[in-house]
Amino acid sequence: MNLPRQRYEETFVLNLGPQHPATHGVLRIKVTMDGEYVIKAEPVLGYIHRMHEKIAEQGNFAQFMPYTARMDYLHALAFNHGYCLVVERAAGIEVPERAEYIRVITVELNRIASHLLWWAAFLLDLGGFTPLLYAFDDREQILDLLERTTGSRLTYCYFRFGGVCNDIDDEFISGTRTFIDRLRKRLPVMYHSLVTGNIILIKRIKDIGIISTEQCRRYGASGPVARGSGIDFDVRKHEPYSIYPELDFDIPVYNEGDSMARYMVRMDEIEQSLRIIEQALDKLPDGPIMAKVPKNLRPEAGTCYAAVETARGSLGHRLLCNGDRNPYRLKLRSPTFSNLSLFAEVAEGMMIADVLAFLGSLDLVIPEIDR
Amino acid sequence: MDREAIPSSLVQFAKLDTLIDLARANSLWPMTFGLACCAIEMMCTGGSRYDISRFGAEVFRPSPRQSDVMIVAGTVNKKLELAVKTLYDQMPEPKWVIAMGNCAISGGPFKLPCNYNVVEGTDLLFPVDVYIPGCPPRPEALLEGIMALEEKITGTRRWPRVEAA
Amino acid sequence: MEATNKLHTTLLTLFGSLNEGAEDATAQNDNDATEARVATIPLDYSRSGANLEQHCRPEQLRTAAELLNTQHFLLESITGVDWPEKNQFEVLYDFIHYAVPQYRVLLRCTVSRDEAIVPSLCSIFSAADWHEREVYDLFGILFDGHPNLIRILLPEDADFYPLRKDYMP
Repeated sequence: MNLPRQRYEETFVLNLGPQHPATHGVLRIKVTMDGEYVIKAEPVLGYIHRMHEKIAEQGNFAQFMPYTARMDYLHALAFNHGYCLVVERAAGIEVPERAEYIRVITVELNRIASHLLWWAAFLLDLGGFTPLLYAFDDREQILDLLERTTGSRLTYCYFRFGGVCNDIDDEFISGTRTFIDRLRKRLPVMYHSLVTGNIILIKRIKDIGIISTEQCRRYGASGPVARGSGIDFDVRKHEPYSIYPELDFDIPVYNEGDSMARYMVRMDEIEQSLRIIEQALDKLPDGPIMAKVPKNLRPEAGTCYAAVETARGSLGHRLLCNGDRNPYRLKLRSPTFSNLSLFAEVAEGMMIADVLAFLGSLDLVIPEIDR
Repeated sequence: MDREAIPSSLVQFAKLDTLIDLARANSLWPMTFGLACCAIEMMCTGGSRYDISRFGAEVFRPSPRQSDVMIVAGTVNKKLELAVKTLYDQMPEPKWVIAMGNCAISGGPFKLPCNYNVVEGTDLLFPVDVYIPGCPPRPEALLEGIMALEEKITGTRRWPRVEAA
Repeated sequence: MEATNKLHTTLLTLFGSLNEGAEDATAQNDNDATEARVATIPLDYSRSGANLEQHCRPEQLRTAAELLNTQHFLLESITGVDWPEKNQFEVLYDFIHYAVPQYRVLLRCTVSRDEAIVPSLCSIFSAADWHEREVYDLFGILFDGHPNLIRILLPEDADFYPLRKDYMP
């Protein structure tokens, strides 16, 4: 984009945040502007840095479980899952099959809830308030189901090393099946025909914020941000874990790389998650939900990595143990941290209204970036 | 204002005051200050199931100059401290603060010996009127907090307190 | 599987020649006890989440990263570790490949705690920008060649490095 040449004194610096109406959290972006056009955008982080990596070193492995949900509270079960996966890999714990199925069912329900909230917040940023009410209605149904089993509405601490802490009952299963039918009926009517096909939305997000494949690779992007740019990368297929290899689902990939592509990826992922939950409910075996795990876990010294797919991308945990009861070092590789790092490069030359549409399409959760 | 000193034959203040307090309590305009997880429960309270609009508080204003109550939903950081204080100072009187969630009350799960970055409670920064515990508090708890604030403003409760069975 | 094996063999060869070049340099300069050994270690993915572990010295870091860049890897994360009893800092780099499943390369580089300077990978992988700023912020490890090495998570005027083992507020 050819910007009109301006002397430096004719530009001004606009501060987006840390308190702004877009519900992403506390993100501050210093935008150097020339009228409506952005010359330089610089995200400033750290306003919700809550020392998770330091806290992990202070207590034993189990004591960090509640903190995993506080990072990305919208897909908290995936963060539970990632942490369990890395510790189970390091300690050599095997999870019973029923527990794996329950894990997948609850994680996918949480993924749908996260995408619904993203959809609502994205449209709120663009100026449409009504979709929030409809998305939250469906989200409350999911939260009811998860609350019966896990006990929490938002920040779940449901997984344990070796399984899950509570079993699902018949009412959960029938409630989930009812919910799947309900959402399947609502998706084409309310979500797609009312919003996705809306000319205002299309004009706002089509061809906005185009991210190339090479940019994705250079910045380490993952999740819908990468899949909207034509990269077929989903940890559930790339580094399969749990029982995902036994389930049949597709990975939506769109090639345009604009905000519309990322929007469509997430909407298609909701449908794929419904497919996964259905299959998992059909195949759900009987059996124990927890393996026998020592009370004080002391994995052998060494380093271990585990990746899971959250609603935002590939979440990685790098764990270094030294034979102690506490983790020696736990590094959380947050997907949104890498996704946001390409913001500065892509936002140059955009108009400020388009910057907000682009930011919304990246699906940010700031406490996950700041940890 | 000393009401006894003003002869009641001249002016009566009581009723209008009550009326103004009632109006203020039933139209609290919160500021969108969702910082972390509690912000999502605040959004849920604004949704259709829990409907904060019944109590007149659905108009979340982005600007502090247009809001009555600041619902601090989430953890306050040392980096954010100055921004929060500025926002509080920018709100016009009368203003109230609701500390929602354990982090806003006392630092919550981050009040540990290794804490180097979290402000342990918003009442270290400015006066708080209502504390809503929970991590995160349920939307019903936030509604109860709004009603407690209404009670603080008007002196009477909208609904009777539910007695434990 | 085929793509994985092919990539694995290619990397073993490339890193092998990198190690040989390093050992020549070691012969000239072997009085520094804190220099880590140069080695390429294949790992078991199911136990450790990585397939190849490459230990290299700071001066070979950029060459190793360029090797991985030509093979179209992406930088996934940079982890800093404090080993106070050995008086060392360690930096771990994780690389994965979009097109090759279940393949992760771990690059490890150790520096002394007193002089913690590691070359920056910013010009090769743009992802390194923010990751290196974070490692600097939390540990105090300097990255030589970074365009903008300032704090990212803590306030700019903070004067401590929180994730060091000897730090307690």
